[in-house]
Amino acid sequence: MPVSPLVEITFALSALVILLASLAVVLIKNPVRATLMLILSFLPTSLIYILLQASFVGILQILVYAGAIMMLFTFVIMMINPSPNEGDAPAGGSESAFTGLRGGLVGFLIIGLAGTMVIPMIYHAAASLPVQAVTKPHFGELSSIAALLFEDPANNPLTVSFELISFLILVGIIAALNFSRRKGGQTVDEDSISTRPTEALPIVKRQSGIEAMERK
Amino acid sequence: MIPHVFNLQNCLALSLLLVLIGSFGVFRRHSLIMILLSVEVMLNGVNLSLVAFNYFRWGTSETSHYLYMLSIGVAAVEAAVGLSMIIVLFKNFNDITRERISRLGERSA
Repeated sequence: MPVSPLVEITFALSALVILLASLAVVLIKNPVRATLMLILSFLPTSLIYILLQASFVGILQILVYAGAIMMLFTFVIMMINPSPNEGDAPAGGSESAFTGLRGGLVGFLIIGLAGTMVIPMIYHAAASLPVQAVTKPHFGELSSIAALLFEDPANNPLTVSFELISFLILVGIIAALNFSRRKGGQTVDEDSISTRPTEALPIVKRQSGIEAMERK
Repeated sequence: MIPHVFNLQNCLALSLLLVLIGSFGVFRRHSLIMILLSVEVMLNGVNLSLVAFNYFRWGTSETSHYLYMLSIGVAAVEAAVGLSMIIVLFKNFNDITRERISRLGERSA
């Protein structure tokens, strides 16, 4: 299929930026900068989605991924406030086979070997699939995806599974709330609350059930 | 003359490289937050391959776009639950490196 040279150049540049930003995510030591680099790598990804005629998916990539999920990461990183030299080996930590750059290289080699063994099979399978060029009039637009998901909802399996995602998110909300709940309804003394971010989270003291009952 | 680079093979190669970079980060990083970030890089590569297959080989329906939405729903839930677990670990241990977590609460010798 004939493609304009602008598309080729945009794809090549976006792929380059995605790879460089993802490498920076893995290699940069400062966690806040790594998160910002991941957001930077999402922007050309959405450009590639738009080249693939998936405009709604490209919008979702920016709105949901870069906007919501990465903001969650940024908030937690700023709340915990780890040291900027996170990538360094911990002081006095035990050296296992999977620490540091050596462990990274071992994992990289294992998965790289698996990938190079798998990718010819994927190419073969992709070549044996019949090429079905995009012929649908509004391919990838919101109205078309909505028609795919919600047309004839009584017999459409995609409608049911799409609604089931909301139950998955509900389960996630309940799990996150349950994790963050204080055990035994303890209250925090006003004096122990500090405005410094590293001291703002007090270490929760465990108390047995008998002690909690005696206190009542 | 500009070479023809916008095809399925190059999209799949890009997605494989993203998964490799993410796995490199999972093995290399110490902080649990950075391990979750590397998992997000891997998920990004997988989503790219889904949408590329849909465009080049299945142009009659947008089923992979729906799969992409399902995938980011799962990614959002995974990030929320994982980050709240990290906050609980930080409250209890004051440390979120995986060397500390791998001791499962025992004091170091």
